Amino acid sequence: MTLLSPTPRSTVGASPAALAARATPRSRRVGVPYTFLAPALILFTLFLAAPIGYAAYLSLRRVRVTGLGLGAKSRVEQWAGLSNYARSLSDPEFLPSVWRVAAYGMIVVPTMLGVALLMALLLDAGRSRVGGFARISIFLPYAVPAVVASLLWGFLYLPRVSPITDLLAAMSIPAPEMLSSSWVLWAVANIAVWGGTGFNMIVLYTALRAIPTEIKEAARIDGASDIAVAWRIKIPILLPSLVMTFVFSLIATLQVFAEPMTLRPLSNTISTTWTPLMKVYRDAFTRNDIYSAAATSVVLAVATFVLSYGFLKLVGRRAFNQED
Amino acid sequence: MNRKLAPLVATLTALAMVSAAGCSGSDDDPGSGTTGGKVELTYWSWAPNMDKVAAAWNAANPDIQVTVNKQDGGDPAVTKLLTAIKAGSGAPDIMQAEYQKIPTLVSADAIADIATEVGSLKDKFPESAWNGVTLGSEAVYGVPQDSGPLLFYYRADVFDRLKITPPKTWDEYAEAARKIRRANPKQHLGTFSATDPGWFAGLAQQAGASWWGVNGQSWTVAIDDEATRKVAGYWGGLVQEGVIDNKPMYTPEWNAALNDGTQVGWVSAVWGPGVLEGNAKDTKGKWKVAPLPQWDAARPATGNWGGSATSVTTQSKHKKQAAKFIAWLNSDPAALKLLVSDVNVYPSAKEATSTALTSPPAFFANQADFYQIAEEASKIANPFTYGPNVNVTYSAYSDAFAKAAEARNAAAFTAALSTMQKTTVDDMKNVGFTVTG
Amino acid sequence: MSLVTATVPAPVEATRRPRRQRHSAAATVLLLLGAAYCLLPVLWVLVASSKSAAELFSTFTFAPSTHLWDNVVQLSGYRDGLFWRWMGNTALYAGVGAFASTLISAMAGFALAKYTFPGKNLIFNLILAGVLVPGVILAIPQYLLLAKVEMTNTYWAVLLPSMISPYGIYLCRIFAAAAVPGEILESARVDGAGDWRTFGQVALPMMRTGLVTVFLFQFVAIWNNFMLPYIMLGDDRLYPITVGLNGLLNQGASQPAMYTSVVTGALLSIVPLVLLFLSLQRYWQVDLAAGAVKA
Repeated sequence: MTLLSPTPRSTVGASPAALAARATPRSRRVGVPYTFLAPALILFTLFLAAPIGYAAYLSLRRVRVTGLGLGAKSRVEQWAGLSNYARSLSDPEFLPSVWRVAAYGMIVVPTMLGVALLMALLLDAGRSRVGGFARISIFLPYAVPAVVASLLWGFLYLPRVSPITDLLAAMSIPAPEMLSSSWVLWAVANIAVWGGTGFNMIVLYTALRAIPTEIKEAARIDGASDIAVAWRIKIPILLPSLVMTFVFSLIATLQVFAEPMTLRPLSNTISTTWTPLMKVYRDAFTRNDIYSAAATSVVLAVATFVLSYGFLKLVGRRAFNQED
Repeated sequence: MNRKLAPLVATLTALAMVSAAGCSGSDDDPGSGTTGGKVELTYWSWAPNMDKVAAAWNAANPDIQVTVNKQDGGDPAVTKLLTAIKAGSGAPDIMQAEYQKIPTLVSADAIADIATEVGSLKDKFPESAWNGVTLGSEAVYGVPQDSGPLLFYYRADVFDRLKITPPKTWDEYAEAARKIRRANPKQHLGTFSATDPGWFAGLAQQAGASWWGVNGQSWTVAIDDEATRKVAGYWGGLVQEGVIDNKPMYTPEWNAALNDGTQVGWVSAVWGPGVLEGNAKDTKGKWKVAPLPQWDAARPATGNWGGSATSVTTQSKHKKQAAKFIAWLNSDPAALKLLVSDVNVYPSAKEATSTALTSPPAFFANQADFYQIAEEASKIANPFTYGPNVNVTYSAYSDAFAKAAEARNAAAFTAALSTMQKTTVDDMKNVGFTVTG
Repeated sequence: MSLVTATVPAPVEATRRPRRQRHSAAATVLLLLGAAYCLLPVLWVLVASSKSAAELFSTFTFAPSTHLWDNVVQLSGYRDGLFWRWMGNTALYAGVGAFASTLISAMAGFALAKYTFPGKNLIFNLILAGVLVPGVILAIPQYLLLAKVEMTNTYWAVLLPSMISPYGIYLCRIFAAAAVPGEILESARVDGAGDWRTFGQVALPMMRTGLVTVFLFQFVAIWNNFMLPYIMLGDDRLYPITVGLNGLLNQGASQPAMYTSVVTGALLSIVPLVLLFLSLQRYWQVDLAAGAVKA
């Protein structure tokens, strides 16, 4: 971490070589950017890097007890090699939870971004008087913590207390039991879509507003329809924003936790290892086995990194260079 | 707030008090290791109003001041305690610990042996409760606070209308369940809850199971034994038949069923009235309690669901004072009265029946003999040993029985037991416990 | 190995949209559908919190009742008004945490966008990788480390870890790159302003609009973070609202879940956030497009 630690503020004039290499006078004082970065780097080191490193260390450790394990000295921590990883990956519940999250992501990410894009385009087209109201309403769920949101939707899902069931029953349509095994994935996905659409819509809408009006107007004067303008002009300009909302949604998806965790006691269909992160929670908090939990965490973090990095590589970086 | 400063502040306060010469003169324990000054203890408990009981103690004991930190329930509190133990700081002095968590806490070296500090309290508690805090050894890992003998609650109005008498055996219970279903397909006599492993463990205990055991220097695990298989098969059969519901308890849906009278009975513990009152206040006067249905009416038995002890943590620097407080809390008649009236628990201490449990809980005002029935039940609780990884077993229960209940398949219920057994044994072996059998 | 180098398009100069287009019924219907979907559960809380405990589980879900005030009184009475302390704590954690986080992110983002120095990309990518690690995983190691300095179960235990936000730094870098033209910094320097003065008096005001966004993000993130306070705090007088409400809901088998209080508490906890959004969101909307000076 020495590289990251703030260096003392150097006085005027760095090496002449640096000055020559960088014609910008910004680099006159080498220490300045580091002092700007210092608080962030210190906090980052203390509360992100160190815990992550600690988790990685723990993933290679284990506790061994001897005999009955009841005496004060019967418990020792020791090196475990990769055995925690082996156990974590070979857990019969692990792969199903990964596939479940993959399926969940395939529902959530396209739906959420699709709806967010549609709403953002509708708002931007300015063809309705309800725009302001809709924008605030759709953004509102973002203000509701996931734990609370899941509680609310839980009420709306349970047949006996749900108004949706009542309404459908009044129309004599058999209501789906949302927390039954065939629907539960959709039930959880719905909460995520509900909570996340507004945020993404705002990001996209902000990007749309930044498109110079002349461009939009020019296309319209050429006789292009709203849909054509959206498709040929707005969406291509939006691409960088879409890519980034996609990546952040993807990361959030892989970390799905609060929603199924809150719904779990309400049904028989969500197991304690329903998602990989729930397995981490179960191992660390319920089973008091922080070592396996750490191993699974490392695997998850690496997988998230590979996926998001891979995706960014795939779509290319040509569109993403704003500064420098 | 800063624990580093706390001893310093305490010492300074003590010095000030001594020099003020107005020494409180209370019967402070001699030779307690501290200078006889004021001691501050923190106490983690999830029982409501425990701070009021502590306030009564604080008023009478200015030298040992207890602060209650209200916790969210047994599982989160244990999680936090274990994390604090691992970290080496942050644990309270005193901890409410459910009986099933005591072996886990002892194994993690989280709660201390207070045999010498607490003295002879053994005679004040029923043997089963005392065993829960000694784990059958010479050590004492806490003082029993409350017990949760299983009872059977039922809607007397519905039973009367259908001319059903409270079932004395599980066969009669099944018959009653069928009758109720036939009379009104929306009603259930009960539900099999896959989210409540403690409830199922109590039912297994009644049938004679003891999921763990100590055999010399090794553990035995008997979750998939004959007694538990009998219980699982019985409930699986009722669920498969459709006469018992398969949904978890403590959901909004379950609450609704209690309120609208579609949940006609509840196999629960002695603390049940508080839950019924909180969830379905308007059904007051309609419920009655009866002893738990039996497998063998000639040899009545019951199990426990819930119940806890009060322990001193290994991080406490004032074990002596802490032990003094918890002995008072759980065996002094004045404290027992408060535990019943304010905290709403069913104390383990034998004396409670004559001093504190004289009138039925308000929600069961219509049943004067409520606590007689409870006392009979608490006497016939079967012995049951918990292991050092109860949480592993309990989460395996939730997963395996949730699948079985969802499938409404009796065979899956008994199969779930072998999953629980295997998960438990694998985990113990992996951690290094000696396991036989 | 640049993980990510940009997003959220640069704010461009203000242009009020001409409002002379035809209105479309289809657009209105679609927008209203979206709004209805998002408002439904909120409406439910509103109705549900007006019901007594018995009504909550017996009357038709959207039939309002008259017990809202009773429920608020009951909730306020829980452990001598603990609920309001939770609200205050939440405001403290989210408010102070988000403010500090925004300032720290702004400084870091400014440095990353406007300076060239060795290790810049490495630092940026390291910080960004922090986004990949979920809070559930961090909570226990963070606890173990804070316990070493005996800071668990204090306000600091929640505040300090909340002050670092990789996402905030990432956004600030973009905002700084887009909103603060190099020429203006140069002229400030020529006028003899030091780096800190330039940052405080020139760059910060220019980034103001973006910083509101970052503040909002971080405010919500702290508000939402359940695991950190859940594990760090043993004293319920320090709880934020989410942990407190969760406790009312899961009191263990022998206690009834306090549904009416939880639902009422959920409603009351959303209100201030909604107000904050209503004010800041507009400001943010307008300003993100209007406030920036094109480079």
